[in-house]
Amino acid sequence: MNEFIQNLIPLVVAVVGSMAWLAVNALVLVYCERKFAGHIQRRPGPFEVGPHGVLQTLIDGLKLMGKQLLTPDNADRFLYWLAPILSMIPVLLLFMPIPYGPVLTGMEVDLGLLLILAFSSFNGLALILAGWGSNNKWGILGAARAVAQTVAYEIPLLLTVLAIAFMTGTLNLTEITAQQAGHIGNWFIWKQPLAFIIFIVAMFGETNRAPFDLAEAESELTAGFHTEYSSMGFGLFFMAEYGYMVVICSICSVLFLGGFHGPIPGIEGWWWMLIKTYALLFLMIWARWTFPRVRFDQLLNINWKWLLPLATFNLLATALIMKL
Amino acid sequence: MVFDWLHFSIMLFLLAGLLFACGPLILAGLLAPRAKGGDTGMPYECGMVPYGSSWSRWGVSYYVYALIFLAFDVDVLYLFPVATAYADAEGWVSFVKVFIFLFFLILSIVYFWAKGVFTWPRRIR
Repeated sequence: MNEFIQNLIPLVVAVVGSMAWLAVNALVLVYCERKFAGHIQRRPGPFEVGPHGVLQTLIDGLKLMGKQLLTPDNADRFLYWLAPILSMIPVLLLFMPIPYGPVLTGMEVDLGLLLILAFSSFNGLALILAGWGSNNKWGILGAARAVAQTVAYEIPLLLTVLAIAFMTGTLNLTEITAQQAGHIGNWFIWKQPLAFIIFIVAMFGETNRAPFDLAEAESELTAGFHTEYSSMGFGLFFMAEYGYMVVICSICSVLFLGGFHGPIPGIEGWWWMLIKTYALLFLMIWARWTFPRVRFDQLLNINWKWLLPLATFNLLATALIMKL
Repeated sequence: MVFDWLHFSIMLFLLAGLLFACGPLILAGLLAPRAKGGDTGMPYECGMVPYGSSWSRWGVSYYVYALIFLAFDVDVLYLFPVATAYADAEGWVSFVKVFIFLFFLILSIVYFWAKGVFTWPRRIR
């Protein structure tokens, strides 16, 4: 019984920590995104609520809670409300195997990478349920696009992750981080530069972010799969989207940028992970407000004609170099 | 052991995710107004009255992509066990095997490319 309690307490702490991390991230990222967007377009961004508008997202969240939860008349009620919940459920689990610091790991899982990849594909299911359930033409078109896109970009993502797994011989994220200990030269970005670039591009595709946000292209589809969602239904989709962004940026920094290890020996800690993850997140935001949206056939064909052959080639090269 | 801490923690996290998702929804349901009548429940299609249901057949031109995805995803899954063992494998036989596997995988892309799947508007021969 005593052992049971001893095992349980870290898990509960991890769950609560992940919840807090997810919620705080959503608040901070939405604020950063709007502020960034403002400054990139030479305007101040949110400014009214709190000093420099820092409380804006909190107020927005409260406002969302005070809005009516509408269900369209002809919608499939069950699927319609299942979708945002299904989109949100796996997000917390994805934080579990990621090592945020030397001791700040939810749980060391041998198949951590596979666990994350498996559970993150729940999102595609949630998107198609949202589109289908809302019985809205924009919704269905958006959902079809979203699914075509996320499944397409999953393959190069898997192949680049595999290149790292081939090198390290493990799928355990803690061990992958440990192999990059020491100085900046040990980070896998130097050994796998092509994989890093492919991962970054696939990252945008996976999370439906601009320039690849065809699933919710405002000018064509109003809002895509979440056109009909109001109030917290919409809020949950957005929280989940920001959650997935944080997860994928964290994975990127674990796989390529050395995780919680600093650029020089002896200064490791969770703050490095935080800096790297946020640097990648800012890259995503920056790209959103800088690049125009691509066309849908371009989006799919960049993936199948370029990213996928390149990723396969990279994997082969990795396998070859390891044997030399 | 069949049921260990990993399974337990996965369930715990999923349950927490469920709470995290349902909490705000329930709160919003309690706080929010409940307006009715008029066109509140009409699907939003830019203010027009929607013409017909959207649960109709329409040409999904992505299904060939879905087929390639299925082939790839299942095949790539086989590479994960290989990845963990590859570093320990001796000699060139392992590389040749991986090469053959990936070669046929990439051949499928070449096939679909030649077939015209990646050319829009679609002209599949």
